[in-house]
Amino acid sequence: MVTMRILLIEDDRQAAHYLVKGLHECGHVVDHAGDGEDGLHLALTGRYDVIVADRLLPKRDGLSIIRLLRADENPTPVLILSALGEVDDRVAGLRAGGDDYLVKPYAFSELLARIEALTRRHQAVPPEQPLRFADLVLDTRKQTVTRAGKLIRLQPREFRLLEFLLRHARQVITRTMLLEQVWDFHFDPLTNVIDVHISRLRSKIDKEFDPPLLHTVRGRGYKLDETP
Amino acid sequence: MRLPRLLQTTAVRLALRYVLIYTLVLSVALVALFWSAQRHLDPAVKFDLERELAELQQRFDYGGSTQLIEAIATRNASAERRLYLLVSADGEIRAGNLHDWPDEAEITPDGKVDGVWMDDEILPRGWFGDDAYLPVIAVRLADGSRLLLAQGIEQNEELFKVTEYLVEVLGIVVPLLLLLGTMLGRAILRRMDAIGRTASDIMTGDLSRRVPVSGRQDEFDTLALRLNAMLDRIQQLVNGMREVTDNIAHDLRSPLTRLRNRLEITLLEPRSEADYRDTLRLSIADTAGLITTFNTLLEIAQAEAGNPRAAVSSVDLAGLVRDLAELYAPAAEERSLILQVSADTEALIAGNRNLLAQALGNLLDNAIKYTPAGGVISLRLDYSPSIVAIVVTDSGPGIPAGERAHVLERFVRLESARGTPGNGLGLSLVHAVAKLLRAELWLADACPGLRVTLRFAKISSP
Repeated sequence: MVTMRILLIEDDRQAAHYLVKGLHECGHVVDHAGDGEDGLHLALTGRYDVIVADRLLPKRDGLSIIRLLRADENPTPVLILSALGEVDDRVAGLRAGGDDYLVKPYAFSELLARIEALTRRHQAVPPEQPLRFADLVLDTRKQTVTRAGKLIRLQPREFRLLEFLLRHARQVITRTMLLEQVWDFHFDPLTNVIDVHISRLRSKIDKEFDPPLLHTVRGRGYKLDETP
Repeated sequence: MRLPRLLQTTAVRLALRYVLIYTLVLSVALVALFWSAQRHLDPAVKFDLERELAELQQRFDYGGSTQLIEAIATRNASAERRLYLLVSADGEIRAGNLHDWPDEAEITPDGKVDGVWMDDEILPRGWFGDDAYLPVIAVRLADGSRLLLAQGIEQNEELFKVTEYLVEVLGIVVPLLLLLGTMLGRAILRRMDAIGRTASDIMTGDLSRRVPVSGRQDEFDTLALRLNAMLDRIQQLVNGMREVTDNIAHDLRSPLTRLRNRLEITLLEPRSEADYRDTLRLSIADTAGLITTFNTLLEIAQAEAGNPRAAVSSVDLAGLVRDLAELYAPAAEERSLILQVSADTEALIAGNRNLLAQALGNLLDNAIKYTPAGGVISLRLDYSPSIVAIVVTDSGPGIPAGERAHVLERFVRLESARGTPGNGLGLSLVHAVAKLLRAELWLADACPGLRVTLRFAKISSP
């Protein structure tokens, strides 16, 4: 787990307190700003791995902070927290330059997973190169997956699922993130649809191989890792 | 109706303005006409006056003042509109019909005719008008007396009379116009007041009040109808929001109470760390359930209120159905259920992909939950020229005919469903989305099982 420098711009004191505490306990370094102007100042002058910004802030709203950051050519990934949850709101947030959008109330594990995913995305792998992890190789150009040299047949969706997990190897990915990124759905199914897709993928890439790479992290999500 | 308010109405203001302008213009025109006419010295009149003065002077030269006085008397009797005045050196009036020397009349050595103002008092009784501006010629005679001649102009008198009449007419017309304007103003104010009173009633809390429509189909009625339509809409939204708060308050109480109880009871006695962890874990699960319920309630309320923030765009139902089927297929298979999909041809509707996905997801969740192992779930599109229908069928226990309307309400779960996880909001969300997207929702018996149909109007390509 890589220590991240996080800037949290949140005016709700209690929420901020718990977030900072939780992120600290996960080993990250957190700066906190209680309003939009302070937040903008810190964002422009500091160097952070990721910024978590509430959309509705006193003195300057979250989207305007992002716009100014991008105008300043600052590429720091930003995760927007918002009570506004319509699809159009998230589109607006992402268009303003945000990188991810999480609707309140959210689970801390969800927030954590997404923050970590953002930092990884920031250090992007060139898209054309094959993705490797342990002895697993996924080639996006040839659309093939091999492990230990052996070709694995995957359905198109399973391929996309594995690709996403590979791009975020060693990070915890939540079901919601998978639903959004791999299926482009923004609702919460009651049925354990994602779990079953994952277990199918797991049986294809892990059953005959060693060590198991695709792990379930109880209460949080899934991750691709050499060790659980 | 108080005068100040009346004066503020546009109708009265306009009426006043026009009346004032016209009166002013007319008055100015008349005064100008009158003034210039009076000052205009007709050459003929001028000549006449000069000639007569010359004649009278001759008489004086030949016969002295007596002759003059006689001549004046004679002419006075015959000349209709001529004014004469002979005043002696010591100021005594010797002859003539004027009562006194006009203040402004000047003696000019060469006898020039000039216009002079004659006051009412000096004009003879029975003169053809009131004080006037008349051409006058005056001269000093050899014995020191002064002789004055003046001429009354008939046209001027006519003009004066006409002006008098006009002023009298204005005196009647102006108040009449003001009265009419006032009546118009009052009528308008009354209609405005009706609207205003309705607004006040609504502000005090009675949202059911509406602006009265007179039936005259004029602009006020149009305004009233539009305002009423707006009020209907507002009432609908307010009711929707009231329902949300009612539902949230009422229906979240139980799970919140359960959560609190669990936490309180755990604290009653010291427990093992494992117990504490369990409690915390279960409590997190409880809150997750609460959040889901809360969000769904909000979505339902917004959909029912016709939330304009849910953008409507062109959605291909076939693509959406295939994507959802692909998402749910493994889960169905795991439960030994067969998921059949049939959605081959593109079918565009005006909708919201997210809401539709949520609604169909709910239907699939229900189908999977209630269909026993070995059953079949079918997800297909029925095409017809102008309509496309999504049909979700399962082979589970179905919903008895009598309950089908009931299940669309919030938090309704059938007896047979007690004990299975869920909050009873699934179908009510589908119902709300159907209403918002103007689709027909049908629940039918699939013998066995439930068939849910959502019928949409097709649209042509964007």
